[in-house]
Amino acid sequence: MSVRAGGGGGLVIALAVWSLLPGGGAGPAAAQGVPVGTAQNAVGTLVVVRTDGIEHRLRGRGSLPLFEGDVLRTEAASQALIQLRPGIPVALNERTTLKILSRWDKAGGTTRILRVSRGGVWAKAGDGARQLEVESPAAVAAARDAEIDLKVAEDGQSSLTVLQGTAELGTPFGVCSVRGGTASVGARGAACTAPQPVNAAAAVSWKQAVTQ
Amino acid sequence: MRGIHMSKLKRAGVIALALGLVAGCADLQTKEADEAPRSRVFVANESSNSVTVVDGDSFQVIATVDSRNHATHDLAVSRDGRWLFATNLASGRLSAINTRALETVASIATGDRAHVVTLTNDNRQAWVANIGENTISIVDTGTFRILGTIAVGKGPTGLTFSRDGRFAYVSNQGDKTVEVIDTASHRVLKAIPVGTNPHFLVLGPDGRIWGTNTGGTDIYVIDPAAQEKVGAINVGPAPQQIAFGFKGLQGPNAYVTVAGLNRVVVVSADPSNLRILEQIDVGQRPNGISNNREGTRLFVVHETSNDLKVIDTGSSSVLATVPVGRKPIRVVYHGN
Repeated sequence: MSVRAGGGGGLVIALAVWSLLPGGGAGPAAAQGVPVGTAQNAVGTLVVVRTDGIEHRLRGRGSLPLFEGDVLRTEAASQALIQLRPGIPVALNERTTLKILSRWDKAGGTTRILRVSRGGVWAKAGDGARQLEVESPAAVAAARDAEIDLKVAEDGQSSLTVLQGTAELGTPFGVCSVRGGTASVGARGAACTAPQPVNAAAAVSWKQAVTQ
Repeated sequence: MRGIHMSKLKRAGVIALALGLVAGCADLQTKEADEAPRSRVFVANESSNSVTVVDGDSFQVIATVDSRNHATHDLAVSRDGRWLFATNLASGRLSAINTRALETVASIATGDRAHVVTLTNDNRQAWVANIGENTISIVDTGTFRILGTIAVGKGPTGLTFSRDGRFAYVSNQGDKTVEVIDTASHRVLKAIPVGTNPHFLVLGPDGRIWGTNTGGTDIYVIDPAAQEKVGAINVGPAPQQIAFGFKGLQGPNAYVTVAGLNRVVVVSADPSNLRILEQIDVGQRPNGISNNREGTRLFVVHETSNDLKVIDTGSSSVLATVPVGRKPIRVVYHGN
């Protein structure tokens, strides 16, 4: 993919200005096509599928724009690092598929959401607009001022490990508060398990190659 | 001076008293307005991306709420009437509407072609059938988070729960079945063959599950005790949705919008003796239908004529015709 300057420059500036307007980027009806970040590194290949089916591939370092509704995919032996606005780093482990979404609500504004159907992600969320929710078929992890790792098995079972801060793991049957250094599991048809101490650093050792 | 002063004081006192009384009245009116029984009819306008709010007693339009999404299709209202949830087919999103403020306060990404929404019996979750990806999204109605998804059959278009909440029923138009989901485990227990292009599902007054085969001409009834289809009857081409009511002593009856006939077909709501009792002429392409709590009024929306008709079940006559938005699909009633 190449972005040409000149004729398209005005459009790029207009999009950037619009996305900074209060509520501009937050309008739920106008969610698709909203720039949400960039893919910055891939060990192996990161495949990005736009909402119209167009595919882009990132190999090695780069700056591939990401938009709401994009589906990101890594295969075996591939990992990727993306940066979501306004400053949420996210790493994708191998064999991961996720979709970039958002929720808007009047009280809280826009919350960035990653819907993971398989694989694993690491993310460092902040406060306010830097909060993040990671959904799986069986659970949702909500992170605010927290560093998390979520692994999603083929059957949807989801293991949340919290490295720093506190995050919530919710299933249709209950919500668990998971502190740093502990992990909880959410499976289909069950409440999340009571958080247990884990070696959190070991759980995210996989991301070293792509975040270096 | 003193007289004038006293007079001024008296006047000031009278004014203060009057102001106090006015303020008190205003307070009282506000409280009474908050506590007064209200009934509301909500209409989803697919081509206007909006919800029309109609007073359920005067049949006057109160407001039109922008869903802040595209192709507003189905509605579910909370038991207390404070929340309305609307699916939006084109956006794949669920709108959460505060019915007091009459505004959309949240937009939740559920899945491709978000088609129908139903609230769990405790109203803590909204289940949304996404026809484009064959899933049910489970939305926490307090946090608006998606708590999980359930994979179902092809083309989920109808969704309802059993009286005891133990089972969810999902009609899949691609599979021509209704799936039974155990709400304790979220596993699909069974797929019941029901007919051509099953669509709308609703819990009937007898605890049975009623559905329409919109691709065919019949409606059917499922008994949750046996998880079997226990009755069916032809009502005409493209039956759409079902409500329930009484005609004087007669009833409960099932009132079915039949788009191909431009009529509401009235069926005895006894699965062992399903029979057509009456047919009521309505507008062009009737789709959504809902009843008031007493079962004496029906609210029917028409996709082509873009209006809502209020029908008195006692006389089977139209009491009012209310213009709504473009292509109204679904109507729900809430009465306090």
